[in-house]
Formats: sequence, C-alpha cells, structure tokens
Amino acid sequence: MKGFLQIHDPLKPKGHAVGIDLGTTNSLVAGVVHGKPVCLEADENGARLLPSVVHYGRDGGVVVGSRAVALMPSHPTDTLKSVKRFMGKSLGDAETQKLGAYRFAEGTGIVRFQVSGGQPVTPIEVSGEILRALKRRAESHFAGKVEQAVITVPAYFDDAQRQATKDAGRLAGLEVLRLLNEPTAAALAYGLDKGSQGRFAVYDLGGGTFDISILELTDGVFQVKSVGGDSALGGDDFDRAIVKWVAGDKPLSPSEISNLLQAARAAKEALTTASETTLAGQQLTREKLDELIAPLIEKTGVACRRALKDAGLKAHELDGVVLVGGSTRVPAVRRFVQQLFGKEPLADIDPDQVVALGAAVQADLLTNSERQDEVLLLDVIPLSLGLETMGGVVEKVIPRNSTIPMAAAQVFTTFQDGQNAMDVHVLQGERELVEDCRSLARFRLTGIPAMPAGMGRVEVKFSVDADGILSVAAKEQSTGAEQHITVKPTHGLTDEEIEQMLLDSIDHAEDDMQKRLLREQQVEAQRILIDAKKQLAENGDLLEPTERATMQSSMHALEQLAAATADHHALKEAIHALDEQSKPFVEKIMNRAISRAVVGQKV
Amino acid sequence: MTVNHFEIFGLTPSVDVDVPALEAKYRELSLEHHPDRVGADQRLEAVQKTTSLNEAVKVLRDPARRAFYLLQLEGIDLEKQQMPMEFLESILEQREQLEIAKRQKNLPKVRALGAEVGHTSDQALAEGLKALRAGEVPAATSALARVRYYTRFLDEVEAIEESAA
Repeated sequence: MKGFLQIHDPLKPKGHAVGIDLGTTNSLVAGVVHGKPVCLEADENGARLLPSVVHYGRDGGVVVGSRAVALMPSHPTDTLKSVKRFMGKSLGDAETQKLGAYRFAEGTGIVRFQVSGGQPVTPIEVSGEILRALKRRAESHFAGKVEQAVITVPAYFDDAQRQATKDAGRLAGLEVLRLLNEPTAAALAYGLDKGSQGRFAVYDLGGGTFDISILELTDGVFQVKSVGGDSALGGDDFDRAIVKWVAGDKPLSPSEISNLLQAARAAKEALTTASETTLAGQQLTREKLDELIAPLIEKTGVACRRALKDAGLKAHELDGVVLVGGSTRVPAVRRFVQQLFGKEPLADIDPDQVVALGAAVQADLLTNSERQDEVLLLDVIPLSLGLETMGGVVEKVIPRNSTIPMAAAQVFTTFQDGQNAMDVHVLQGERELVEDCRSLARFRLTGIPAMPAGMGRVEVKFSVDADGILSVAAKEQSTGAEQHITVKPTHGLTDEEIEQMLLDSIDHAEDDMQKRLLREQQVEAQRILIDAKKQLAENGDLLEPTERATMQSSMHALEQLAAATADHHALKEAIHALDEQSKPFVEKIMNRAISRAVVGQKV
Repeated sequence: MTVNHFEIFGLTPSVDVDVPALEAKYRELSLEHHPDRVGADQRLEAVQKTTSLNEAVKVLRDPARRAFYLLQLEGIDLEKQQMPMEFLESILEQREQLEIAKRQKNLPKVRALGAEVGHTSDQALAEGLKALRAGEVPAATSALARVRYYTRFLDEVEAIEESAA
C-alpha cells in the first residue's frame, strides 16, 4: 500500500527542474513558477546572486557564497573565486598565469588548487560545491527534490570546458538535461516574454567571458546563426586593469592583490553612476576608467564583426541587440555596443538574471510535456572540429557554427605499404596547424589488413550531440575494423575520479551531518504537508468526518514539530506516522483516479 | 537504402531551390523530429533524423554545395578530377602571392587577392550551374572542380584576415 510519500508528484518523478547560470563571478538558480521564470533566493539572506566563491576551511568544512567572500581577505589562498576560468584547463595554459591569488598544486593535466585542510581541489569540484549550494536553495524553495537542471555555459566553451561543467553537475547530484549556451538562454528569456520574431544579437560581457551570438526566431524555432567571443575576457579584466594602474610596478602579496581587486571592482561599479571616485587613496575618474578598459572593449568588436559575417548579416539587418552580463552596466560598454550595431541595446531584463531565467525556461520546455509545442531551440557548435593530417595540418571535419546535432565523416587513406594502424588525432579550433589548436583526443585504429599505400581506406566519423559534446568513430572500410570513443578531453576527469569525488563530498558538506539531516526532514515534512492539504481539498469527500479529523490533527502536530524541533529522528517519526495514516485515504484516491481514467478511456 | 538530401525535404534533385521555402520546411521538420520533441524511447532515432536534416539543409541552402552534391549524385567525385595544367599553374601562382602577402602581413594585398579570386570563383560557379541546368555534366564538372580550388583559396584568405584581427 502506498502513502503520500510514494505518490508524490507522479508526473515528475525527478522533482523540479531548474535553470542554473554557473557564472565566473556570481551564480544563480531559477525555476518556472506559475508559468513564469523567476530567480530563486540563492542564500539565506534572500539574495538572488550567489557569489561564485568557495572557501575551504582547515577543518575540511566548505563555505559557499557571500560568507566565503567575507573570508577572502583573511584566507586568500583557501578561498577560491573565478574558478570557471580554469574549467577544462591545465596548469600549462596561459590562462593560469594571470594575476590572482591562487596556489596551484604541482602536477600535470587538470589544474588543482592547494587549499588548507585536505587534498588539492579541481575547478570541477569547486564548481560542484557552487551547484550543490544552489540545488539546496532550490530544494528549500520548492520544498521538494531538485534533481534535473539546465546549466548554462559560454557559447565559446570548448569540448573540455563543457565536459568539465557536466561533470560538476554530476558531482552536485544533478542530471544535466542540457548545457545551454548563455547567449541563447538570454535570447530565450527575451524571445518568449515578448513573443517577438526577428533577428537578434546577444552581447554578453560577464565577469570572465565574452560571448556574441546572432539568433533568428521564426515560426517557433529559435535558430542560432553564429556565435563567437573570447573565453578569457570580462569584467574581471577591467578590475585587473584598474589594479595594474593603481599599483604600478609595486610587488604585491596575495592578500593585497585580493583587497585591491575588491576595491577596484567597487570603484568600477561606483563609476556606473558617479563621474569620479577614490581608490586606495587615488582619484579615479570615469574618463580614466574608460581609457583603461578601452582596449579590452575594443577586443569584443572583433568577435562581433566576425559573428555577423558568419551569419551572413549586416548590423542594420538586426532587429535588436540584447545586453547580458553585469559588465554591460559599464557606460563605456553600452556606448560601444550602440555604435557598433547602430541601435539602442535592449536591457529591460536584469542583465545579471536573464541567463538563469532563460535556462529555467529551457528546463521547463524539456521536462514539461504541456510545453512541448512551444519554441524549439537549434544551437550550433562554437569551434571547428577536425583531424590531424600529414605535416601537422588540421583538416576540418565539422566547421564552426554548424547546427547540432551534427555528424560528418572523412575518409583517409594509408600512406605506407603494409600500414596496419592509423593514428587519429582529434582537434578543435580555427587555426591551420595542429600546435595552434586544442587537442581533444588521440587514439589508434589497429587491424588494418596489409595493403599497398593508398589502398587502405579509413572513415573517421564525428558526431556532435545536442550539448555540443563530440564522439568519434574510425572504421577501416574493407575489414570493418572499428574504434569508437566519446571524446574525453585531456583536461577532464575520468568516471572513476568522479565516483571518488562523489564519495569524498559526503564527508565535507558545509553543515554537519545532524543539521543536514534535520533540514532534509524539514523539507520532507513540508512536502508531505503540502500534499496532504492538496489531497484533503480535492478528495476530502472520500473520508469519514472522524478520519478527516484524525488526519487534520496529525497534520497540525507535524506542522508544529517541524517548526520547533531540532531532533531529526522525532520529525522523521512524525512524518512516518502521517504517511501511515494516509494510506487508506491514498488508496481511495487511487481508486477514484483509476475509475475516472477507465471511464474516460474507450477500450 | 539512404534517402538523399533532396528527398528529405520532398524535393527532386535540381540546380535551383527556393531557399526560403526550404528553410520553412526545415523548421517544420525540425519541430517534428528534434530529440527535444520526442519521448526517451524515440530519442536515438530522433537524433539520427535531426542530424540528417541538419546535414541536408546545410548542403541545399548553399548554391555551390548544392551543385557539388548534384554531381555526387551523378557519381562524380570532384576530388578525383584531373585539372588542366594551365589552371593548376595559375592557382599555384596566386597561392604563392598570397603566401608572400601573408608573410609580409600585407592585409590590403591579401584582401585584393581574395576579391580577385572571389570574382573568378563566382563566374566559374555561374558557368557550372548553367551547364548543370542544361544537363551538360562534363562542362559542369570542369567548372565546379575549379570552384573547389577557389573555395580553398578563399578559406585561406579568411583565415589570414582572422588571425590578423
């Protein structure tokens, strides 16, 4: 026999699906409530923005968000920020050399940060903590489980960065329904709200990344025409430019850098409205700020022009330009965008929230069967995918801005007599030479029969799924010898590593076990109470007056206990009691539902 | 038995395609077959269908790719065409000039070469399309084989322009 706990929300066995903007500086979680996307409270103080900052304590405890920000000045190397910049990166990548207070662990492959109180952590684990914090907040909001999410990534993220983001979702216990390109999410939020048709550019300048996308909305299909950008350019670079100006050549300690960066950020924000401000005792005018950041803003123009060209459009053919990302609040950025596209940009949705809102819309579209007839999203891959050929040259197999899912094959011939194996080297990027592109994977196809040079034919097939993640198969055409891999990027995690991290993460949760268990039971209590009330209202006529009274008194007792007790055992028992009591009632409800269904159905 | 790109859209193979109508049909078919629109049990099939659809529209919306594809349907492999010596010499000469301009970082010269070859390419494409419409497959093959070389050249020009930016 079933109780409320078992029949809870039968149509949505996975609980609520949310949209998450996993940002460099701030992260947000949004859900669709009463048909409208809204950003949920991301911390206990009711803020929507959760700073993407994670503090690792000496005792192994983990603190996320504004409380972690507060610990940054005193613990600069144990408090990690902007880790999104390191997703899918190795220690050797130029990106890791930038100004910032990070302590890297020695080693090759994936970047690891050295923190007090434990093993070095990867950017994937740090991002996982942020996602977990958002998941918990969403669960409190909905008083129910949240196990599915659409997570946004910059359109310009490569395969390694996408895989890393997906892995972070898994670590947080989320099924990642889709990795959605951030600008596409923003356009989705605007497009659906306004029901508009047309061509749009989305100019997204966040804390750490810049994206430009050209999209077209026609007949319920949102088609991405082209994307471009720079995965290492954003508002953080503005802050760094200010710090460099204010500090000159003076050597700085990690905590000084950390403090100055925060002050620079505050000064930059102040100059959105004020014409001058002070910073570390120096006067900073808006003109000076404009001058410091002008070369950075100019870099965005190059990507914009290229994206327009790829889309086959001229600036004047666009119907609108959408602004996304906190850095588009900077007046010099707005001025630049207006000049570049020749029109006043749209900014009526909060540029910090618009991406998360769009992700929530997409999560709803993917999980809510009633919305299946609404807009369909056709996204593209941001970077070309290719193979190494003779002489270290890259042969493109799928060019950038191809609509996904997409597949393409290329046939290669053997170049030596009797050659029995062929190396397949998969690359990503626009440049001609292997050394200038990103190496995604290497594998060797063996079992080619002995043949004269040029006679052995190997077909290499690339398939890109709807998340933009690649798998590659190679097949010798005469024998059918075959190799198949899902490209696991060089700087990602193996499945075993993820498993281990999932186990480890149980140990160092933010709160101690008792608190966590209590919170879980509180959520559970809320959930069963909501269900019980709903069922009483809808099907209360099935109960005898005495049954109804008993039930109501149990509900009342549980409600009081949930609000007052700190004992999760007691709460669990009370929940169980109510659930047991509800069983005969639930059976009646099921019978009613079934008989209705049978009557309505023509057999 | 595989369906050709035209058949996916209910078209018979032809040189000229009404591209706006093609795009509308593409959206309609995407709405019907996209993996986001079907249940989990039909997902694999939906991914395959959508992939074919995306491949097909990419070929058919572009006149040059469409023309290449028509020849492919005729069983002609453009990559295996023997090109006249004088053509190969002239394209080699132009490539050399491009290489020099690239090394000297002479962007105006790169662009000028690109414009020149672009113009020749357009002419060769027009010639190829005309021959295809008239059913003159050998003439079409010869013209379109040249277009392939020009396209490579223009890709190179674009790559140089981009890395200069």
